Amino acid sequence: MITLTIDGNSIQAAPGTTVMEAALAHGIDIPRLCYHPELSISGNCRLCMVEVEGWLNPTISCSLECQEGMVVRTQSAQLTAIRREILGLLLSDHPLNCLVCDKAGSCILQKYAYEVGLAGTPYPVEVARPLHQDDNPFFIRDHQFCIMCSRCVRVCDEVVGAHAIDIAGRGFHNHIATPFDGPMIDSSCVFCGSCVQVCPTAALLPASRKGLGREWELDRIKTICGYCGVGCEIEFAVKDGEILYARGTPEGPVNGEFLCTKGRYGWDFAESPDRLTQPLIRRDLAYALGLTDTPWALPETSVLEVEKPNIEDSFIPVDWDTALDVTATKLAETVQTYGPDAVMGLASARCTNEENYLFQKLMRLGIGTNNVDHCARL
Amino acid sequence: MTNSIREIRDADCIFITGSNTAESHPVLSYEVVRAAKRGAHVVILDPRRVPLVDHATLFLQAKPGTDIYIFLAMMHVIVREGWDDQAFIAERTEGYDAFVEVLRPYTPERAALMTGVPIEQIEAAARIYALGERADGASLYGDGRGHSTILYAMGITQRRNGTDLVMTLANLAMLCGQVGKPSTGVNPLRGQSNVQGACDVGCLVNVLPGYQNVTDAARRQAVAARWGVEDLPGAVGLTVVEAMDAAAEGKVRAAYIMGENPMLSDPNTTHVEAALRTLDFLVVQDIFLSDTAQLAHVVLPAASSLEKDGTITNTERRVQLIYPVIPPPGVARPDWEITGEIGARLDERLGRDRDPATWRFPSTAAIMEEIAAVTPIYGGILHPRLEGAGLQWPCPNADHPGTPILHTAAFSRGKGFFNLVEAQDPAELPDAEYPLILSTGRVLYHYHTGTMTRRSAPLNWREPGGYVEINPEDAAAAGLANGDEVVIESRRGAVQTWVKVSTDVPPGTVFIAFHWREAPANMLTQDHTLDPVAKIPEYKVCAVRLKKPHAAQEAAASAAD
Repeated sequence: MITLTIDGNSIQAAPGTTVMEAALAHGIDIPRLCYHPELSISGNCRLCMVEVEGWLNPTISCSLECQEGMVVRTQSAQLTAIRREILGLLLSDHPLNCLVCDKAGSCILQKYAYEVGLAGTPYPVEVARPLHQDDNPFFIRDHQFCIMCSRCVRVCDEVVGAHAIDIAGRGFHNHIATPFDGPMIDSSCVFCGSCVQVCPTAALLPASRKGLGREWELDRIKTICGYCGVGCEIEFAVKDGEILYARGTPEGPVNGEFLCTKGRYGWDFAESPDRLTQPLIRRDLAYALGLTDTPWALPETSVLEVEKPNIEDSFIPVDWDTALDVTATKLAETVQTYGPDAVMGLASARCTNEENYLFQKLMRLGIGTNNVDHCARL
Repeated sequence: MTNSIREIRDADCIFITGSNTAESHPVLSYEVVRAAKRGAHVVILDPRRVPLVDHATLFLQAKPGTDIYIFLAMMHVIVREGWDDQAFIAERTEGYDAFVEVLRPYTPERAALMTGVPIEQIEAAARIYALGERADGASLYGDGRGHSTILYAMGITQRRNGTDLVMTLANLAMLCGQVGKPSTGVNPLRGQSNVQGACDVGCLVNVLPGYQNVTDAARRQAVAARWGVEDLPGAVGLTVVEAMDAAAEGKVRAAYIMGENPMLSDPNTTHVEAALRTLDFLVVQDIFLSDTAQLAHVVLPAASSLEKDGTITNTERRVQLIYPVIPPPGVARPDWEITGEIGARLDERLGRDRDPATWRFPSTAAIMEEIAAVTPIYGGILHPRLEGAGLQWPCPNADHPGTPILHTAAFSRGKGFFNLVEAQDPAELPDAEYPLILSTGRVLYHYHTGTMTRRSAPLNWREPGGYVEINPEDAAAAGLANGDEVVIESRRGAVQTWVKVSTDVPPGTVFIAFHWREAPANMLTQDHTLDPVAKIPEYKVCAVRLKKPHAAQEAAASAAD
C-alpha cells in the first residue's frame, strides 16, 4: 500500500489508485464534472485540479496516480480561483436558465457555480450549440446546456457497447452527434438512457418529465424492475402519485446506476387506460347466475381476431365479494364433482415470492393437487 | 446462476450460447461489454448473429439445433489436447472415464459437418474456454488457468433435448474446473423478474417450496405438518403443456391462471385456445384483459409490480424487496390478497373447519416468515434482512450471509457427476413441404407476450409491430423484399406479418418474436415433442414455409373447395 497525505489526512491507497479515487474513498470531495467512477478518465473539465507539494503547477486529480509520500491539497485560494475561471468559461456558453430548468437542484454545474458564488460569467455570452433535438419519445437532447464533458459518449461505448454517439466538429463548434447528425432512431442507440443518467446538466433529459416538476418536489421511491430476471434496482421520481421519470442509483446491488430501455422508460403501462379496475364476470356466467337478464354466448371466432377487446361486450362488472364467492364456489364444485386433479393452476413469474407461495399452497392444500406450474418452461 | 452477475466483468473468457443477452438481459450484457473492453475473450455460439456479436472475439454460427455437436466436440478436443483440469476432475467429480468414452466419436470434423462451423473455430473455442485465455491484458485471478464463465438462456433449454444440453454445459464446466470460483460457473439467464422465485417457492408440478420432491413422503409430510394437515398430494402434477392437453380431453375442468397469458406464450395456439374454451370454469387474475383473460368466466383485477410490496428473486438467486411506487387503479388488489381470499372461501365451500389465517395474512412479511419455515434454502430470508442489497440463497438460517457462488467446496450431491449425453437432433426438421426452420425469441423493446410493453408509449414507438427476419437468400428465393407481407405456415397454423430481410439469420432459418398478438409466433410452434424431463416445448426449432399472402389465400380457398 502507498501512504500519501490529502488535506492533512494520512491515507493508504493501493498502487494504481488515483488521487481522486483515494480522496473520494475517504470522504474528501473534489469538484468534478467529467469524472465518473464507472467510466474511463477523460480529464477534459479540469475542475478537479489539486496542488501537490513540490510541484510547480496544479494538476488534475482524476488521472493522477497516488505516489508514496505525496502531499496533496484539494482546497486553496489558488484552486478556487482556477475553478471560478473554468466555471466562468463554461457559463459563457451555457444559458442561465436555472429559473425554468428541470435539472435545477440536481445540475452539477449549478452546484459548483453556487459553491464558488458565481452568479454569471465575466465573459461575453455566446451559445455555441443551439441545437434542440426531440426526435424520440425517450429523451430530449438540448445541446445549449451541453458542457462537452463526454460522459454520455463514454457510457454509450464503454458500458452499453452501443457507441451511438461521439464528438463531432472541432473547438468551439464541436458537439455530441449521431453519425452524420441523423435521427437517433437511425443510429445504433438502444434507448437505454444511460447517457441521460450520467449527464451532469440538462443537455439530456427524460422526455416524460419535461416541465412537470422541480427536483425538490419529487418523492424518490426505489424498487426492483418487473421485467427480466436481472433484478435491477430502479429509483422512481414521483409527484402527486404519478411517475415522472426513472433512474438508477450507484447503490443498485446488481446494476449500479445503469438500466435498459424497458426498465428506464417502460413503466407507463401501469397508467394505461386499459388497466383492469374492477372484477368482471363473463356475460354467459352472469346470466346463469341471474346477474343479468340478457343471454349471451362467447363468440366462436378466435380472441386473437378481436383487434381491441371491449370489456363491456363480454363482461359485467361485479364487486369483490361476488367475484370471489363465484370463484370459490366453481372451484369447490369442480373438486367435489371431478376430484382435485381436475383443477390446474398457473402461477406467475411476474408475481412476488409471497404471492406464488400462497398460490401453490392454495393448489396443494386448498384444492389438493400438484397441477401447479408457471411459465418457467416458456 | 451458479455465480453472480457482477463477477462477469472480471472473467477472462465468457462463453455465451443460446442467449440474446443484449436484447433479453440488456443490463447483464453491459457486464459482458465491460469484460470485452478489458480484454476478455467473448465467444458466442448461436444460429443468429445476436447484437452482442459486435463485442465477440469469436462467433460460431451453427445451424439451429446442432449446437450439441459443438459442445461435445469442444470437450473431445479438450480431452485430446490435455486441456482438462485433472486435479479438479480427481478431487471433485466422478464418472469421468465413462464420459470420455462417450466423447470419442464426437470429433470436430463431425461437428463441422453437422453445424457448418469450421473445425478451427471449434478448436479455438475449446482452447479459449478450457484455459480461460484472454484476448488482451492480464487476468485478475493469478491462480493458474484463467476464469471462464458460461452464460446461456432459452436457446439451450427450449429444445426437445434441453435437459441434455444443460447437463452438457455442466460437464464442460466440470471438465475444465471452471466452476466453484469467481467469474466461472454455469449461468442460466432467467427471462422474467421472478421466474427464479416462482420456482423456488414451489410453483412447479414436482416440487414443494425449496425444490423438495412431492414424491418424498418425509419432506412432504414436514410441509404438511406446518400447514396443519397430515399429508399432501404425492403424485407429480401436470405441466402447463400437459395440462392444456388434459383440458382439451376433458380431464382438467377448471383453471386458475394468475398473471400468465398462455394464449400467446404456449406452443400451438389453436390447440391452447380450444383447450381453454373447453374448461367448465376459467378464472384469470391479471392487470390487463389479456387474450387469455378474454376467455375467462371470472376476471380478477390485480395490482402491478409497481403497486405492491413483497420480494422477487433474480437470476443470481438474489431475493430483493419491491415497494409500491404508485397506487393501484380502481379496486385492483395485490395478488396475495386475492389468492388468500379465494383460499379462505374455498375452505368454507368445501366445509373445512380451518383457521382462515391459513390464507389471510396481515402482510407479505408474514407470508415470508412461513416461506422461511418450510423452505430450507430460504430459511434465513426474512424481510427485515433484505433492506439494501437483499440476500442470495441458499441462506439456511437467520445468521447466514447468503451464497454468491455455489459449489465452492462440494456439489449439492457431493461429487459432480459426468452425465452421459449423446447428440440428438430437433424433433421437427425441415423437409420438402416445410423447408425452413423457425426460431422464436424476443426483441429488445418488448417483453414476453407484450401486454405491458406494447402499452408503453416510448417502447411501442420504437418497435410498433411484428416482423419475420429472413435471410436475403431465402427472401430472394421466395420473391420477397423488405417490408413485404408474408404468410408463414407450419403444420399447426399460419401467421401473417412483415418481412425484414436480414443477414442476422443464416440461410434456411427465419425468426419471429412471440410478443405480437396480431402475428402470434406460437400459432406455428410444435407441442408434440417436449423435453422428456423438463417438459419444455421446442420453441427454437420447428419446420415452416413462406407464402405470399394472395397465394396462401388461394391455397386455403382451394382446400376449402
